[in-house]
Amino acid sequence: MANLTLRAVRKSYGTMPVLHGIDLDIAEGEFVAFVGPSGCGKSTLLRCIAGLEDISSGELRIGDIVMNHVAPAERGIAMVFQSYALYPHMTVFENMAFGLRIAGRPKAEITARVHAAAEKLQLVPYLDRPPRALSGGQRQRVAIGRAIVRDPQVFLFDEPLSNLDAALRAATRVEIARLKKSMPGTTMIYVTHDQVEAMTLADRIVVLRGGHIEQVGRPIELYRNPANLFVAGFIGSPAMNVLPARVEHAGERSVFRLADEALLHLPLQMSESEVGRAVYLGIRPEDLRLAAEADEPLLQGRILLIEHLGEVQILHVDVGAAKETPLLVKVPGTTQLDENMTVVLAADPDSVRLFDAEGIAMRTLRAESVGC
Amino acid sequence: MTGGHRFWPSVTKAMLWAFLCAMGLLVIYPLFWMGLGGFKSNSQIFSDPFALPESWSFANYLTAWQATQGYMVSSLLVTLISTLTTVTISAWTAFGLTRTEIPGKPLVVGIVLGGMMLSPTVALVPLVRMLQDYGIYDTHAALILLYTAFRVPFTTFLIRAYMLDLPRDLDEAAMMDGASPGQIFRKVILPLCQPILISCVVLHILFAWNEYLFAMIFTNSPGVQTLPVGLTSMMSKQGTNFAAVFAAMTISALPIVIIFFLTQRYFIRGLTQGIGK
Ligand SMILES: Nc1ncnc2c1ncn2[C@@H]1O[C@H](COP(=O)(O)OP(=O)(O)OP(=O)(O)O)[C@@H](O)[C@H]1O
Ligand SMILES: [Mg+2]
Repeated sequence: MANLTLRAVRKSYGTMPVLHGIDLDIAEGEFVAFVGPSGCGKSTLLRCIAGLEDISSGELRIGDIVMNHVAPAERGIAMVFQSYALYPHMTVFENMAFGLRIAGRPKAEITARVHAAAEKLQLVPYLDRPPRALSGGQRQRVAIGRAIVRDPQVFLFDEPLSNLDAALRAATRVEIARLKKSMPGTTMIYVTHDQVEAMTLADRIVVLRGGHIEQVGRPIELYRNPANLFVAGFIGSPAMNVLPARVEHAGERSVFRLADEALLHLPLQMSESEVGRAVYLGIRPEDLRLAAEADEPLLQGRILLIEHLGEVQILHVDVGAAKETPLLVKVPGTTQLDENMTVVLAADPDSVRLFDAEGIAMRTLRAESVGC
Repeated sequence: MTGGHRFWPSVTKAMLWAFLCAMGLLVIYPLFWMGLGGFKSNSQIFSDPFALPESWSFANYLTAWQATQGYMVSSLLVTLISTLTTVTISAWTAFGLTRTEIPGKPLVVGIVLGGMMLSPTVALVPLVRMLQDYGIYDTHAALILLYTAFRVPFTTFLIRAYMLDLPRDLDEAAMMDGASPGQIFRKVILPLCQPILISCVVLHILFAWNEYLFAMIFTNSPGVQTLPVGLTSMMSKQGTNFAAVFAAMTISALPIVIIFFLTQRYFIRGLTQGIGK
């Protein structure tokens, strides 16, 4: 059994708390990604699970066994380090065989297991080389191979692709996805800065900030229904647009007054008591479009800057409502536009998210009826 | 002129070469002169100090070899064993100081490395008493013990600096692989420390082979005395036979010179890597 249970896990270095009570359940065979800004405690949490750091308080269980004080090697865990941490004085074969040799496995078994892993990762031609005679991608695969050979219940990755160039990163990402498929019973936990990696690989994403869990959910859930403004800003690139507003008129369709006095009519259910309340409206850049004849116009503004990305272009539009930060709009790359042009924007009202003054997502009638 | 910009760099280069050659000559010539002196007769050393030997005679070397053989054995014994003990103890200590959690670690580091400040001369009188109490005064064991004790701090200092630079990830990877601290030390850290270990071995050999003060004070019998002491006693006995003394000196210096030339590449690499980065 390789399900993980974390209950109120705290970690402090000296008097400085880094993790403030993490509660998390990870099912057997699940692929979970930890994301969050630098210094939020992703690596620390991973190292606590691995046993490289002691947990200050709380409980960590793998299967049914409390693992707080179990040595790293006895937790049934393997870890791929960001730096790969290959032993420089050993060949690829010896690197992969090291753990099995320490465990005193018979020679024949070691050879068989290392070769099986090497074949899986296309490392057979390199078995006799030292790590310094390998490319970055090959070293990466050796690090994964060393972990596979031990046949772990739980696989931990700490930013395994961050030392690779963009093309290799994409290729290795696919390989990791394939690896996961070939080991359906193995639980994987993956720390990353790169939300594309998290979105494409993970069954569930855990968003951390300052040692707290902000939200846990399937990638699309986090993307569509972020629990708060932080998650909304962190997941998705470019980030969700956030407009401060005030409830002007409540009802089946409510009216919101933006900072520049413009009024927005949205099919969001608000109660009478909420009139005058400060809220934030969140709209993803791709949910905004240039208004056509039939559209109900939402906002109007001047294009400050156009970023051409090929298939799409990102418009930075000054709508006056959010003074410092221009509104970002993702439109097809083929649309002919110029800077300083004035554009009228429209959006599918369902795509607008509502947050309260503290930045917590508010449940709306539409969202409830959809069942989220 | 196209040649103009080539002229000055080549002059600088030539001057650098000349300077280095002069320095080299300055160091090598006395040694060379000493070695040559061993082939001359005593009278020629005085009449013709800078000439080549009149007749290349190995007689002096033969006498010197016979006279120094006993000291040579002592020196070899003391040097080899104290090198082994010093480097082994220092490597373990450095591992402990860099890789384990000890309460009050800075203090422990301070005490161990503070040993480098200890001047051997100050400790001489108590040491004589101590070694007499232990009953090892005038034995090889006395020298081995002293050389180890006095060189562990410095050797630890060098190895510790090197170990601090080794990435922690390697320890952690080995830990995940199930290695005990002892296995991490022997199978991961020690092999990676090879360059600095070689440097430390060479440095200790240089020290132990040439050490004079302890060897003179803590040994009496010719069977126990090491080469530096043996050479001085030979000088006082055969004070007038300079040719034989030169030959003996050459013989005693030779092993060190050979060891240094064989290992200098690794020796320098170990030291610069420890400091660098
Ligand atoms: N050994 C340590 N001693 C003291 N503080 C530490 C130690 N290790 C980490 N920290 C602190 O704990 C916090 C979390 O660090 P951690 O390495 O887990 O961040 P992270 O989320 O992995 O960041 P990154 O994305 O940059 O890798 C940071 O503020 C860091 O300064
Ligand atoms: Mg990290």
